[in-house]
Amino acid sequence: MDSVFIISYVVIPLLKIAVIVLILSGAIAYLTLLERKVIAHIQVRLGPMRVGWHGLLQPIADGLKFILKEDIVPSRADALVFTLAPIISLVPAFVVFSVIPFGPPGMLEGVLRWALSPFFSPETVQSIVESGSVSGGFVTDINIAVLFVLSVSSVGILGIILAGWASNSKYPLLGALRSSAQMVSYEVALGFSIIGVLLIARSLSLVEIVQKQQQDQLWYIFVQPVAFVLFFICGMAETNRLPFDLPEAETELVGGFHTEYSGFRFALFFMAEYASMITASAMATTLFLGGWLPPFPSVPAFSFLHLVPPVIWFLLKVFLLLYIFIWVRGTLPRFRFDQLMKYGWKVFFPVALGNVLVSAGVLLRFI
Amino acid sequence: MVNFLKRVFFVDVLAGLALTLKYTFHRVYTEQYPTEKPKLAERYRGAPRLNNDPETGETLCIACDLCAQVCPEDLIVVGSERDPDTRKKVLTTYTFDTSRCLFCGLCQEICPTNAIELTQDFELATYSRRNMVWDRTRLEQGWDRIDYGADRETASGRESSRYERKTG
Amino acid sequence: MIEPTILDAKEIEINMGPQHPSTHGVLRVKLKIDGEKVRQAECIIGYLHRGVEKISENRNYFKCIPYYDRTDYIAAVSNGLGFILGVEKMAEIQVPERAQYIRIMMTELNRIASHLLWLATHALDIGAMTVFLYCFREREEILKLFEALFGARLTTHAFRIGGLWKDLPPGFVEAVKKFTDEFPARVDEYEQLLTKNRIWLDRTRGIGVISAAEAIEYGLSGPPLRGSGVPYDVRKLRPYGGYENFEFDVPVGKNGDTYDRYLVRIEEMLQSRRIVEQILQKLPSGPIRGKVPRVLKPAAGEYYSAVEGPRGELGYYIVSDGSTQPFRVRIRPPTFISLQVLDRLVRGHLIADVVAIIGTLDIVLGEIDR
Repeated sequence: MDSVFIISYVVIPLLKIAVIVLILSGAIAYLTLLERKVIAHIQVRLGPMRVGWHGLLQPIADGLKFILKEDIVPSRADALVFTLAPIISLVPAFVVFSVIPFGPPGMLEGVLRWALSPFFSPETVQSIVESGSVSGGFVTDINIAVLFVLSVSSVGILGIILAGWASNSKYPLLGALRSSAQMVSYEVALGFSIIGVLLIARSLSLVEIVQKQQQDQLWYIFVQPVAFVLFFICGMAETNRLPFDLPEAETELVGGFHTEYSGFRFALFFMAEYASMITASAMATTLFLGGWLPPFPSVPAFSFLHLVPPVIWFLLKVFLLLYIFIWVRGTLPRFRFDQLMKYGWKVFFPVALGNVLVSAGVLLRFI
Repeated sequence: MVNFLKRVFFVDVLAGLALTLKYTFHRVYTEQYPTEKPKLAERYRGAPRLNNDPETGETLCIACDLCAQVCPEDLIVVGSERDPDTRKKVLTTYTFDTSRCLFCGLCQEICPTNAIELTQDFELATYSRRNMVWDRTRLEQGWDRIDYGADRETASGRESSRYERKTG
Repeated sequence: MIEPTILDAKEIEINMGPQHPSTHGVLRVKLKIDGEKVRQAECIIGYLHRGVEKISENRNYFKCIPYYDRTDYIAAVSNGLGFILGVEKMAEIQVPERAQYIRIMMTELNRIASHLLWLATHALDIGAMTVFLYCFREREEILKLFEALFGARLTTHAFRIGGLWKDLPPGFVEAVKKFTDEFPARVDEYEQLLTKNRIWLDRTRGIGVISAAEAIEYGLSGPPLRGSGVPYDVRKLRPYGGYENFEFDVPVGKNGDTYDRYLVRIEEMLQSRRIVEQILQKLPSGPIRGKVPRVLKPAAGEYYSAVEGPRGELGYYIVSDGSTQPFRVRIRPPTFISLQVLDRLVRGHLIADVVAIIGTLDIVLGEIDR
């Protein structure tokens, strides 16, 4: 019993976490390359070409450069907070991935059986595989996962605010003020845009939401299109992407909250931004695009789509959304601070609220 | 009403997105500079050169000093001495300070014999200021340029990257 | 007693520039802000002062010309033209018709290039970075034309007193034709990205409004003045160098805000293209340089010559004492005068608007500091 417990609740989750952290770090690194390449091609130029074939090793070179750069702490900065801020910003962005389902429950069953059977008796293997969410394509499945994601990801904003405050400099302070206002206003609309989905799925667990989409034979984007658009826009605002990149608006505030940061600390902020981009895309995929499900999950004519592993479907959808993130960045100008607030409170919030009311009404009356 | 619907459905934004998507698969305009040299116009005013007569190999310069006089920055110094036999001025030294040069081309415009000429060679960066003052040998024979990486593949790199002489 | 921090202050003084991504060179603006709202803006200039006017006093008229390329380096061709026209007026030099036509063609192409650079940086300041690269793509075509004709891309040393350095190189007319044919489609692309975009509208409409009367009082010229609805264009009102032979409209705005100035400049690019097309049709043959004395000694006196540069009225006030060198040259740089309106325009707006307003004035620090 003890070894079963240790393996299924310590070893395997730790392995999964390690894999996710590693893959995520790599994904972030290559997301920067993807972004540079896509934007370059939008702008009819080539992007990084020097390091490796078509710049494929560029992220590694960048990472090395970040590590080797001098680490500067401004003399009048609050050194402790200044050091902590990037960490506060990055850690939540990674923690969120613990509840995001990359694949269905039982996805790893075969692999686990194959890996464990040489060492344990069949009964032990069976009990390990069946315990908790060990064999699922996710680290853990908690019944308040949506709330967990929302609350943890909003902690990351604290890092930005603290960074602006601790730098003891004017441009970062302005950036921090902007971001606190922006996050507060967009988090509300973001939360409300999810509620429509929750009403239909009747669950806060991300795994169950995907399973419900399978049962209903429908991605929720088709029942909640408005919510999806809202979620995506607010997600963009939450992750500080252009057109909402006010906290770091380069042409206005030089670098915004990270003006005073250099070297690896700057890299941490950078990673946090890209990690939350991936989070937003993964959340949108799970809630609206059927997570790991292939298109038309229950139509027999399309059953050949099930041949592709579910993880691939999930990653494909996330990639698509990330591409849209980058594509939008390559197209649109930047909002002004007050306009951003105006859109947040006067457009997105009422629309999200209306969407909730309409969805609830329809559900009550017809279903 | 139509305008309102256009706003609701993000028509303006989508138009922009369509354009950028179109260009994503468009031919790129980038020139891969150090490996791929741009083709400069014949008239381009770059590094100076003091021309020799292609047949005799003697300098075309008659040491008339017009270029030095016309130069707005007074950066050309022509040294000459009078040949006792022919009573003609003969060029001895010629310095051209590229660090102060405006590349206005007045010197090559005024030159009666097309001796001083601004060529299409534009890679003039060096590691020291002293290097920017060109003397007669360098003006006539070119110089040991800083290697930007383009010529590494060819053994006789410097020769291959020199631009063809002006024809017009 | 706790030491007051920046959080206790009602007003924060913040420095924008001279090293700031969007002050276009080395402009320094001292902003007094209340939150994000700008109370006051003070421009500090002079970081790029090279004394071009003083240099001219020690050079003869031929040698001065390359230096004016370096005042407004974005519109070097127009700058050279302004001075050369002044000298030609002083010395009563006749310029052959072909040279005049080519001059106008190149200044109009330069206007397009300058407006493209303005649009590129203005859009980039407001966050639309793709427009930046698209504009630079077209500007590159024009710079290649400059290179082919003048022998340089930026500091062109374009014209000579009395005409041109050399005639058009072979294939030049076709290349210009190709550019003018393609150009309207390119402008449509910029407009597709910006003109109707809601964010662009939000960011530019009602920003930096200046009325026609006030614009005249401040002495504005060029697009900032025309954006307020005053059809003042030196090319129309005091035609110089042969502009009277061509048809073109002077676009004006209505509201005098950033958006109107944007539209005015976009339309100006198309009008410039119209002029270039007319020139291509009517281009006469003949000599390209009139009779110019080797030693130029204009009669003593004071002369003013103004051209419509891309940024507004570009004037050269030249005093001659009858020697080979100008006694004094005073440049009337259009953006030096439009920069003084910055404080008036940004008051009450937000920091983000300061960037947009600096962009809409289309300043070039080389010209302001000289």
